[in-house]
Amino acid sequence: MSLPLTPIFWLAIALIAVSQVAILRSTVRAMRGATSASARRGIEWAYAIVPAVALVVALAATWQSTRTHATRLDLEARASQTSAP
Amino acid sequence: MTAPAVAQRAPSLARDLIALTKPRIISLLLLTTLAPMYVAGTPSWSVILWTGIGGYLMAGGANAVNMYLDRDIDNVMARTKLRPIPSGRLGARAVLAFGIAIATAATWMLGHFVNVLTSALALAGFYFYVFVYTRWLKRTTPQNIVLGGAAGAFPPLVGWAAVTGRVDLASIYLFLIVFYWTPPHFWALALLKQHDYGRAGVPMAPNIWGERETIDQMLWYTVLLIALSVLPVTFGVFGLFYFASALVLGGILLRGVWQIRTLNTRGESWIPVAWRVYKYSLLYLALLFVAMGIDRHI
Repeated sequence: MSLPLTPIFWLAIALIAVSQVAILRSTVRAMRGATSASARRGIEWAYAIVPAVALVVALAATWQSTRTHATRLDLEARASQTSAP
Repeated sequence: MTAPAVAQRAPSLARDLIALTKPRIISLLLLTTLAPMYVAGTPSWSVILWTGIGGYLMAGGANAVNMYLDRDIDNVMARTKLRPIPSGRLGARAVLAFGIAIATAATWMLGHFVNVLTSALALAGFYFYVFVYTRWLKRTTPQNIVLGGAAGAFPPLVGWAAVTGRVDLASIYLFLIVFYWTPPHFWALALLKQHDYGRAGVPMAPNIWGERETIDQMLWYTVLLIALSVLPVTFGVFGLFYFASALVLGGILLRGVWQIRTLNTRGESWIPVAWRVYKYSLLYLALLFVAMGIDRHI
């Protein structure tokens, strides 16, 4: 049984995007609630943003790898069709 | 010192030295080191052995130095006041020397018997845990364990590099899985121990943001973790067995966190559920990594 890789990829990306936005919004709410100086808030915001940016970079690399893998699977499927008697 | 006194003290000292390394925590770190080795290829027994010993010593050294740096707050928290330094069984400088010594031994061992990249990654994990997490983040931000989670995410990179001699996208995903697993795992404990952390002045999320915001973030981090854990399937690292395992194991974790949120919203006690989520999160990570190893060999 083969998995529908491209739909899985985009569904996962959608869930990650929604979750990441919710985490950032929650962090903003939490910072408003907590009594802290504005400089401190800037640092807290940076702490929240850094993993999100790193994740975007990893996801971009994943998209490249997913496309390469899908192309390879496609070529293998065609090769097996043409070599079949 | 009389012979019986030495005989009585020897096992106790050995126990304390082992306790400094936090062996229970290291068992999970070792699993997340060794399982990726089987994902990366078919490692020889000597590579497994030296990576395991080196990984234990490096993580143990980091934990010992952490106990040295946190000796002031360990004395205040019920959870940690029986550790060797606050209980007076070991001197602080001896603990620091022990931690540095075994981490140095691990650096040499991994570099000599495995490869230089493995040694460098393990040492980077040590420095991240000691300086970035313990010294910098832990006492300054409620997001301490989010960014600090990177320290615990180095072992998969170490295991992967031990077999392949490089770091690639698949190994980065193993790193990310541990990184995004840390917030729901650790905040479950932080919710339960929030008064302890408050007394010690450690700004854990429940103490600074409140329970509701912390639980909301646990929920979103769990959703993110599940989505992230299935992505390696899309570029061919894992197959159907791992995909199904990741969904089932992640679904159970999500259900637990959702229960905490529901009970908290209703104003009912969520403490037993938070304990279950904390314990299950340990099992979740262990089983997920076991599933990775199995998937690559079926």
